[in-house]
Amino acid sequence: MTKRRPRLVALLIGLCLMGCGNSGLRPQPGISSALQRSADSRRWPSMGDRWLASIASRNGRERVELVNLRNGQPVPLPGINQADAQPISVSVSADGNRIALIRSREGRTELTLYRRGVGILQRLPLEPAGVPREVSLDGSGRLLAVQVSRQGRWDVDLIRLP
Amino acid sequence: MTGGCSGRAQRAPGSLLPEQQQEPALSGDGSKLALIVDQRGRPTVQLKNLRGGGRLPLRHLNRHQPHSSPSLSWNGRYLAVIIQRGNRRLVLIEDRLNGRAHPLRLPSGRNPVRLSLSPDARQLAVQTAERGRWQVELLDLSGLLEPDRGGGLRQTNPAEPQP
Repeated sequence: MTKRRPRLVALLIGLCLMGCGNSGLRPQPGISSALQRSADSRRWPSMGDRWLASIASRNGRERVELVNLRNGQPVPLPGINQADAQPISVSVSADGNRIALIRSREGRTELTLYRRGVGILQRLPLEPAGVPREVSLDGSGRLLAVQVSRQGRWDVDLIRLP
Repeated sequence: MTGGCSGRAQRAPGSLLPEQQQEPALSGDGSKLALIVDQRGRPTVQLKNLRGGGRLPLRHLNRHQPHSSPSLSWNGRYLAVIIQRGNRRLVLIEDRLNGRAHPLRLPSGRNPVRLSLSPDARQLAVQTAERGRWQVELLDLSGLLEPDRGGGLRQTNPAEPQP
């Protein structure tokens, strides 16, 4: 009995550590399962206040998608997904109204901004020129940080938007 | 429809230094920028103050490299990042207000690939891989973290419609 006690104490400590590590962390199986069922593959999550933007793949084609997390439903994004464009990186503003998108199209990689209210995708030029790789919007959607390749090195540019 | 749009561009603080900067992540209020920089061959997260300038200290993120996919809450109180501990990748959330670290193993047991923290820090979206397929898992952090003030308190522009 006495010999078993150290093992029991070690087991209890181990269980406590496992439990304490994730205390308060709760999976959201409902919305996570719905996200998995609605696409063959999904990557590049970006969260707003109640929005999740991501790149979802169906039948071998990738599209930018914006899901309203209150009801788990995607909202229409007319004009953001084009048949000849491949999305690379996406970031959404807190209110879900602006989406920054890096995409590859006709052999070029370009930085764009989508305004959901007007359904327009605008190209944002990089100065000096470079190849964008990854983008982040602030909550207002009026400040953008973009990772850019220039002459073999990675820089981060900040761009203020009107 | 695609059109041109001009914005005022500037380099992030430190861009003129030889270190390369990758994986930018802005705080919701735009006051802070998290980056991955190469420190002696080890990808390491750094936090920059965009308003006052300079680097902000991170208590728990000087080790467990490589770091990847940083994400900030609204005021930058919380920084979430993927770290390496042994042969496992896990999520670490540093609370800059009280100095606590929250290392998280995903309930699914999968390795995190990419993160996004909601502005109020109540939810975390995590990209994982299973059988060669990317997935996004959502986690509720409201039992773990206090909300970051500012998240959810903004007014939306009435000119831009809500669904």
